Amino acid sequence: MRKRHTTKDRLITVALHIALVAGLFFAAFPIYWMLSSSFKSNTEIFALPPTILPKAFTLEAYAAILGDPVKLRFFFNSYFVAFAVTVLTVLIALLAAYGFSRFNFRGKGSLNTLIISTQTIPPITLLIPFFGLVVSYRIFDTYTALILTYLVFTLPYAILLMTGYLNTLPRDLDEAVAVDGGTSWTALWRVIVPISLPGIVATSVYTFLLCWNEFLFALTLTKSASMRTVPIGIQLLMGQHAFEWNQMMAMSVLGSLPLLLIYLIAQRFFLAGMTAGSVK
Amino acid sequence: MAEVILENICKTYGNNFHAIDQLNLSVEDGEFLILVGPSGCGKSTALRMIAGLEDVTSGSLRIGGVDVVDMPPKDRDIAMVFQSYALYPHMTVSENIAFSMRLAGKPKAERKKRVDEIAKTLQLTSLLDSKPANLSGGQRQRVAMGRAMVREPAAFLMDEPLSNLDAKLRVQMRAEITSLQKQLGVTTIYVTHDQTEAMTMGDRVAVLKGGVLQQVDTPKRLYESPVNAFVAGFIGSPSMNLFEATLMGDELTVGAFAIRLQNAAFGRRPGLKSYAGRKVVFGIRPEDLYDSNLESGRKYQTIPAKVTSIEELGSEHIVHLSIDAARVDSGDPDAVQDFGMASNAVAKFEPVSAVRSGSEIRLALDDTKLHFFDPETHLAI
Repeated sequence: MRKRHTTKDRLITVALHIALVAGLFFAAFPIYWMLSSSFKSNTEIFALPPTILPKAFTLEAYAAILGDPVKLRFFFNSYFVAFAVTVLTVLIALLAAYGFSRFNFRGKGSLNTLIISTQTIPPITLLIPFFGLVVSYRIFDTYTALILTYLVFTLPYAILLMTGYLNTLPRDLDEAVAVDGGTSWTALWRVIVPISLPGIVATSVYTFLLCWNEFLFALTLTKSASMRTVPIGIQLLMGQHAFEWNQMMAMSVLGSLPLLLIYLIAQRFFLAGMTAGSVK
Repeated sequence: MAEVILENICKTYGNNFHAIDQLNLSVEDGEFLILVGPSGCGKSTALRMIAGLEDVTSGSLRIGGVDVVDMPPKDRDIAMVFQSYALYPHMTVSENIAFSMRLAGKPKAERKKRVDEIAKTLQLTSLLDSKPANLSGGQRQRVAMGRAMVREPAAFLMDEPLSNLDAKLRVQMRAEITSLQKQLGVTTIYVTHDQTEAMTMGDRVAVLKGGVLQQVDTPKRLYESPVNAFVAGFIGSPSMNLFEATLMGDELTVGAFAIRLQNAAFGRRPGLKSYAGRKVVFGIRPEDLYDSNLESGRKYQTIPAKVTSIEELGSEHIVHLSIDAARVDSGDPDAVQDFGMASNAVAKFEPVSAVRSGSEIRLALDDTKLHFFDPETHLAI
């Protein structure tokens, strides 16, 4: 039976839509503002009243960034560190998660609790100890310092994420490999990894994002311009005497693009169904 | 091909739970042995121990004369079909079947030849490039079989491979697996909780309960001569009716009626005489109970019964009855509780039977088909 819509129902629907549009505006406007400002001149950005659309559309901010080797280096650094950390995190987390998911060993429960508990420590409290360690090991202002530090933050969550994913995969598959003549290693690489792509991609995206956006440790553990990453690079555009807002916005746009691309590429892996047809 | 011998096999878990207790079983070369029992009886554990997927707590396990207790699954020369099929979802049918050969380092040409042979036998040729997700339940089951067959193992281990199929397909696959096993002649151990599969597929059937082997015999002998009330109740569908009675002379006194026993009954079971004047458990299968109004039932003695409900299956009527007797539990935890407050017995009548629900009838029983068990031990007399 079709339900009759009352006036009250309609009012609720209208109110809901107004609230949603307001929410959308609130979420999307900063992104729009970043985009539009990146195509304005710095003078126009400071104009009052502010212009919603660029009056004089210009690519000068992008040219300034893409033409400056120092700024391009920020991008390279961000890519290199984020990529290295992602690869290492996924590799280590996968092996650790396979262990947690498939084997029983002494101290498994305690180790699991320890990993979870690391998530409760605010990263900023570790800044000074990390700084001390990095200096002691003479790796200050190096990729190694950033990569090792980031690994400490990405690994626990990645292990938990991957363990959760592997736990959803039927153990019969590992046993089928064992009966077919393979070892646990064979099962992991030939069967578990190929069907864990959604889990691996989710972990990779999470790790990449965390590294790409990281500011505090990158600021503290690096010093030279050649080691700075994009978030620090954006901050460096705020000089003592000048604020290059259009360049900051252009750099933010360029910095966001890889993430957008990663999301678009990874999207299809988030869909369920990798194990369809395996069991039952 | 090889014989599989289990000697005093035990499996105890950390919490001191005995999943398998002193299991002795000898499966001959080429034999099709069914391991059957209710849920939690240890049948899958036993199979997994043979496969090497579960550690053996104690005892000896030999496949083809080789002690395999400490061997990993890959060295046992066995192939297994899992209840869930466990097909590799990212591989095609062809890759699934050939996977073990690939791991063994067999050349591509040899793999292809063998896969083609298997696919032909299992009618999978047109599906070789499909992924498991695109197959029906029956096709997946065949791929799982193919994966086991490809290696020409010493023994096949099958863990309830038909339980995920619908009833019709199950009947078809039952016949296919049986004929395939005969054709290949490979020693096969097949786990099921479905006693119809047990009765129709195997050369011999091993009945387990609570981790203890109850009886190993041919389906016919299990049906005709169960060693105890559990086996009697477990084998056969619907289950055997078990009641308590007192043996008075040549009569079984049951509540308000008595069943006369012929001399032959005592001749076949000399031990029965020692129960004179004592309680005894007797059993009768639903197919040995008749509608006294029909020709088939006229020659037998009758007892009073009340019809509580009828399931008309077309080829037969399953008639639920209430008789004035104390029912005995066979000890099968999975037994269907079709005995409500009103009914305590089941009979299979011919479809021409005109009995109606709620009517008082005379129930004919073939007293030569009675089974007797000790009321304490439940062992057959």
